Amino acid sequence: MSTAFSADARNERVGSSHEPANSGPLERFSYDDAIVRKFLVAMLVWGIVGMLVGLIIALQLALPYLPEVKGAKPLSFLYETSWLNFGRLRPLHTNAVIFAFAGNAIFAGIYYSTQRLCKARMWSDKLSSLHFWGWQAIIVSAAITLPLGITQGKEYAELEWPIDLAIAVVWLGFFGTNFLMTLVKRRERHMYVALWFYIASLVTVTILHVFNNLSLPYALAQVLSGNTPTKEGFVKSWPVYAGVQDAFMQWWYGHNAVAFFLTTPFLGLMYYFLPKAAERPVYSYRLSIVHFWSLVFMYIWAGPHHLHYTSLPAWASTLGMLFSVMLWMPSWGGMINGLLTLRGAWQKVSQDPVLKFFVIAITFYGMATFEGPMLSIKSVNSLSHYTDWTIAHVHSGALGWNGFLAFGMMYWLLPRLFQTPLWSKKLMAAHFWIGTIGMVMYVIPMYAAGITQGLMWRAFDESGSLQYNDFVQTVNAIVPFYWLRALGGTLYLAGAVFGAVNMFMTWKARPAAYEVPVHSAPALTPFYSDPPRPASRLGEGNLAIGHDADVFVQGWWHRVWERKPIKFTLLTLLAVLLASLFEMIPTFLIKSNVPTIASVKPYTPLELHGRDVYIAEGCYNCHSQMIRPIWAETKRYGEYSKGGESVYDHPFQWGSRRIGPDLAREGGIKSHDWHVRHFENPRQLIAQSIMPSYKHLLESKIDFKDTETRVRAMAMLGVPYGEMVKEGVASAYAQAQAEQIAADLVQQGGYEDMQDKKVIALTAYIQRLGIDISKPDDWDPYEKFRDRATKILAARNGEADKVASSTTKVNSGGAK
Amino acid sequence: MSLTQLMSQAGLWIFPAIALVLFLAVFVAVVARTFTKRSRKEGEEAAQLPLADDAPLAPAPINTSRPARTSR
Repeated sequence: MSTAFSADARNERVGSSHEPANSGPLERFSYDDAIVRKFLVAMLVWGIVGMLVGLIIALQLALPYLPEVKGAKPLSFLYETSWLNFGRLRPLHTNAVIFAFAGNAIFAGIYYSTQRLCKARMWSDKLSSLHFWGWQAIIVSAAITLPLGITQGKEYAELEWPIDLAIAVVWLGFFGTNFLMTLVKRRERHMYVALWFYIASLVTVTILHVFNNLSLPYALAQVLSGNTPTKEGFVKSWPVYAGVQDAFMQWWYGHNAVAFFLTTPFLGLMYYFLPKAAERPVYSYRLSIVHFWSLVFMYIWAGPHHLHYTSLPAWASTLGMLFSVMLWMPSWGGMINGLLTLRGAWQKVSQDPVLKFFVIAITFYGMATFEGPMLSIKSVNSLSHYTDWTIAHVHSGALGWNGFLAFGMMYWLLPRLFQTPLWSKKLMAAHFWIGTIGMVMYVIPMYAAGITQGLMWRAFDESGSLQYNDFVQTVNAIVPFYWLRALGGTLYLAGAVFGAVNMFMTWKARPAAYEVPVHSAPALTPFYSDPPRPASRLGEGNLAIGHDADVFVQGWWHRVWERKPIKFTLLTLLAVLLASLFEMIPTFLIKSNVPTIASVKPYTPLELHGRDVYIAEGCYNCHSQMIRPIWAETKRYGEYSKGGESVYDHPFQWGSRRIGPDLAREGGIKSHDWHVRHFENPRQLIAQSIMPSYKHLLESKIDFKDTETRVRAMAMLGVPYGEMVKEGVASAYAQAQAEQIAADLVQQGGYEDMQDKKVIALTAYIQRLGIDISKPDDWDPYEKFRDRATKILAARNGEADKVASSTTKVNSGGAK
Repeated sequence: MSLTQLMSQAGLWIFPAIALVLFLAVFVAVVARTFTKRSRKEGEEAAQLPLADDAPLAPAPINTSRPARTSR
């Protein structure tokens, strides 16, 4: 009988003296497959939703506005509704496909395989159920808040603080406890390598999530400044990190979310479901162990490759590059291990679409993990960064590796979970083909788009000026590729819909009651004795340390602790935590890493409002604020960005993609009127612009009442606001600046009565970007409207006669 | 004196270097261990786990070398 296999084998090896008490009494148990069914259905439903949102935003880029048809504009709501704007839907797309589609796929696979690999039912059915419903509730809350512009403004970590807390509880409290307790109560002595991958994912994602989301909730700031928290307090927060540090933290998170949410758990699934489907063991178990440890030791360092040529210290980005390049080897070891598992079984691949899905998935894993290290090399990155090359790269990973592995697993599970043959094998094969064609049609045009745009950005003509001086030219060149991408995405989505039909029809044919087979295995007893410490193979004449070293080299210790789940978990945790600390502490605590600049002052209260509008609208999804020290960029945008310029940016706004131009030096270049009309409808000023209209900002109002708390929150995070935190001061200054800008606007021939509209705050913010470094050290950001503010303050106090005395200079703050 | 200043002056550069070496050493040890003969045998056993896990309730005793116990 198979269940006793390894206990027997071990007994045989260690000899009769260790035979007794290695196994406890035989126990009966059954597996909880109902929870797997739930997660699998959720995976497909959210997958289709997430892909549909992706298709919508892809079309918004391909077709930024709709031509009039017989005087009417059908579907124009897709372009003019605030909550359907690209900037708000793009985070919804990424969150849905990562955390809802891939997340539910991981959970389905983990719940299925962990129970079987441990020969134990999940520790608690109640926790399984809480995990499932909790996770779905989080997804629903994301789907509601993100389109409303409720966001932290950090990619893949957009969800606001109450949802973040819920994620921590569901992930670690429900899922983590349940999973780890199942390991503790398992009946199989050895923990199969898939379980190691799950453990690493569990602990690392927890750390990433907690540290990247450390923020000051607005509600807390309200309480600390003596107010009762408002509704707004629960949907807004600011990260405790700023600028370079926030960027470092974010991309440590962002990269490792890819590593430990989209790679390691899926590798665990691969190491379980591929042998299952191929009916043969993994090609080399030892290679899978090396694969595991290499990823755990190396992945955690690679994050800074997202920040090449930015204000991040160069040593950090070089370190990130180095580890990224090293990652290529273990990743390909894993890919080869997967493909060679099918050795002698390729005839099965030709007949079984499940294996076809797996082969394509593993192939895409190989391609993406070759491309990743390549893109992390600085010179390649200088071309690829900010372009669609990155988009192509992530989609080859996401559609090919994650998507196809999830679909292959789904088709393998469907007949087993619903205990009836799959409804249509033909439809499954059709899904495979349409999905594969869709992927290729998505990825190739995006490569072309990325490289085209990257080359256009850096093209010079004979006279030494930029060949494509107008940014929009470089956008128009790639719009045809956007069409092809949308087509490829449609095909891939169609494949997923085929899958849904197949799942539904298979479900319909399920038996009236599911059979729940009973299994049996001996319990593990605490009296289990490990294989004995081997003797040293060295001769008598050696030192004790030599003997110890020889014993160590024989590797007996690894065997002993690899089956202790809690210790194993703690050691993995230690490995990733230590690596993270050593990489990040210097940037946080060593001054020379982020030099400050005396002339860089905190934003004015109105500009703070504007920055929060910028974040809420998701502007960072298409605009970077980080000019790299590259000739073509300083030529196009101006002086390169310095680390000291974003020291007050909670959160940092460097961005990662330039669908529109960089905004780091946008301040003061164009008139207020230009910006207001541009927000209203970008095509009034740039005919070929693909930016959405932000009409609603011309109507919705700034809430001056909460200005003070916003400023105080920044002050609590260490931004030197000086006198500005005093009662009433910040709102008076915000109002004064708004009136000043509104007055300027009228003078420039712009709209009237705009002084309380959000567009004014946003304009104020945009006009401030990047101007500080060209100012003298003691410049005063409040100069233009100080008198006006003093008057407002005086009028509010009803003490008009005190106007003269209250002109005491309000400290404008700034790094001194 | 702020924590930042303190840390900047503490001359801590050697610690990350030591950490890197330790990391590398542990990693090399794990990889070296993986390629020992003993590990190969264990690996072959372990690789069978996913294939063996769905066995239905089997009548065979757990370990023939000792009397089978009745289940609870």
